[in-house]
Amino acid sequence: MGKGENHITNTIRTLRFNAGEMTQAALAAEVGVTRQTIVAIEQGRYSPSLEVAFRIAKVFGKPLEEVFSYEG
Amino acid sequence: MTYKELTAIVQVVSVAVVTWWGAAQVAGDPELMQSAPAAAAMLVTAIGISIAFNIVVMIVGSIVVSIAQRAEMKDERADERDRAITTRAMRNGYLVMSVAALAGLLLLAFGNVPTVTATYALFGAAMLGGAADAVSRLVYYRIG
Repeated sequence: MGKGENHITNTIRTLRFNAGEMTQAALAAEVGVTRQTIVAIEQGRYSPSLEVAFRIAKVFGKPLEEVFSYEG
Repeated sequence: MTYKELTAIVQVVSVAVVTWWGAAQVAGDPELMQSAPAAAAMLVTAIGISIAFNIVVMIVGSIVVSIAQRAEMKDERADERDRAITTRAMRNGYLVMSVAALAGLLLLAFGNVPTVTATYALFGAAMLGGAADAVSRLVYYRIG
């Protein structure tokens, strides 16, 4: 959510697949957000806070820049 | 559909129902356009109807949606996105309520209308603000 176009892309869908087709609900539970928020982040409709972004990266054991990238 | 979206939908419908009920009362009783205490009493009843409507429809709606989705619908703990959406929706609701209240005051000041109108303007501004808040939440949950 935010004004203007979202320039932040992510690889969460791929990372979930590589993590044994982890469900959005399971990822949400590990990160501590709702499943709807994971859906919105994955679809690029919502840019998470830095803290949530780091938590997502930590779940997959990846550095932040492998999960999120900015295409400005 | 999530519990929070259902809550917003019910709130919008509730505003419509209360508006319809209030309009019907005013149409059927001319005193409601002449006496502020009578108008206020009717609007207090309208608030009661709105609360009862929300409770009943939320219970029934939760059951119906749970059956349709084949999963129990329950309210999840709000996260950062929920809080951001709530904040933006409240801001919209506050703005709409302020403009509606100002419009009501201007109408009273320059519109040569009965003073009982102030009672309806105050109530209407609050209802419009609530509706704007609920509609905003629905939109933000869809787009962001």
